[in-house]
Amino acid sequence: MRFLDASTIQVGGEQLDVSWFLLLAAALFVLGAIGVLIRRNPLVMLICVELMLNAVNLTLVAFSRQLNNREGQLFALMTMTVAAAEAVVGLAILVDIFRVRDLEDIDELSELKG
Amino acid sequence: MGPATLVFWIASVVALAGGLGVVLFKEPIRNVLSLVVVMLSLAVLFLLLSAQFVFVVQVIVYAGAVMVLFLFVITLLGPVREQTTVRLPWQVFISAVAIAGFAGFLVAMLRGVTYRAPDAGDPLLPLFGSVQAIGLGLFTDYLFPFELTSILLLVAAIGAIYLSRGPRARGPK
Repeated sequence: MRFLDASTIQVGGEQLDVSWFLLLAAALFVLGAIGVLIRRNPLVMLICVELMLNAVNLTLVAFSRQLNNREGQLFALMTMTVAAAEAVVGLAILVDIFRVRDLEDIDELSELKG
Repeated sequence: MGPATLVFWIASVVALAGGLGVVLFKEPIRNVLSLVVVMLSLAVLFLLLSAQFVFVVQVIVYAGAVMVLFLFVITLLGPVREQTTVRLPWQVFISAVAIAGFAGFLVAMLRGVTYRAPDAGDPLLPLFGSVQAIGLGLFTDYLFPFELTSILLLVAAIGAIYLSRGPRARGPK
């Protein structure tokens, strides 16, 4: 049941294949990308971006474990910080937009007027 | 199949189901709760990868704080109906092609990965992924990026306060 070139890690006396973690992360990332592209609600698009960032975190931590290197985990923490900042600013922009008008579709924001 | 493999498969299936929920549910509150499910199952996977500190941060900061922020905004904005009409022609088709191409690219890239040999040292040492190891990294080698993130958070907080004060409070244009 091996998909990639083997790289196993030892977890509790068992061999786990890192590639399965990477495949799961890729699947979650693609799901998030689908959400960003097909959903029209800006709030849901932000949520899907968060999903993509989480998938990237899984990749970073999996490589950190496989390489026996803590830097992947440090990068994952940095990603979480950036994601928090992104969520805060994005939600503030959304609240500001919704104050002016009742938005149902992200395409309604095609003009740059306030 | 031992317990670790079992935990991995259960967490993966739950994460994928949550991801589908994020994309497919029509009400934003269900999207957010699905995302919480995804984050918690990813936290389990982090623990499986012996990243204890990242696990704790994921549960407290991400699944706790950031998601509560989303929920607050949803309650503030009230229910939002989503239009199903698409204005741009070919939009769905182009999206499908782009996504299929991207997924194929990812899988092809993953098939070509050759792994580097792990660094020296025993990963099963109790220090790996612990607060000590992470703190040591953050405050020695990665001190500068760490300080930069604090500036980033400050800027984000100021920007959020400014944006959410409303147009009238910002003064004349």
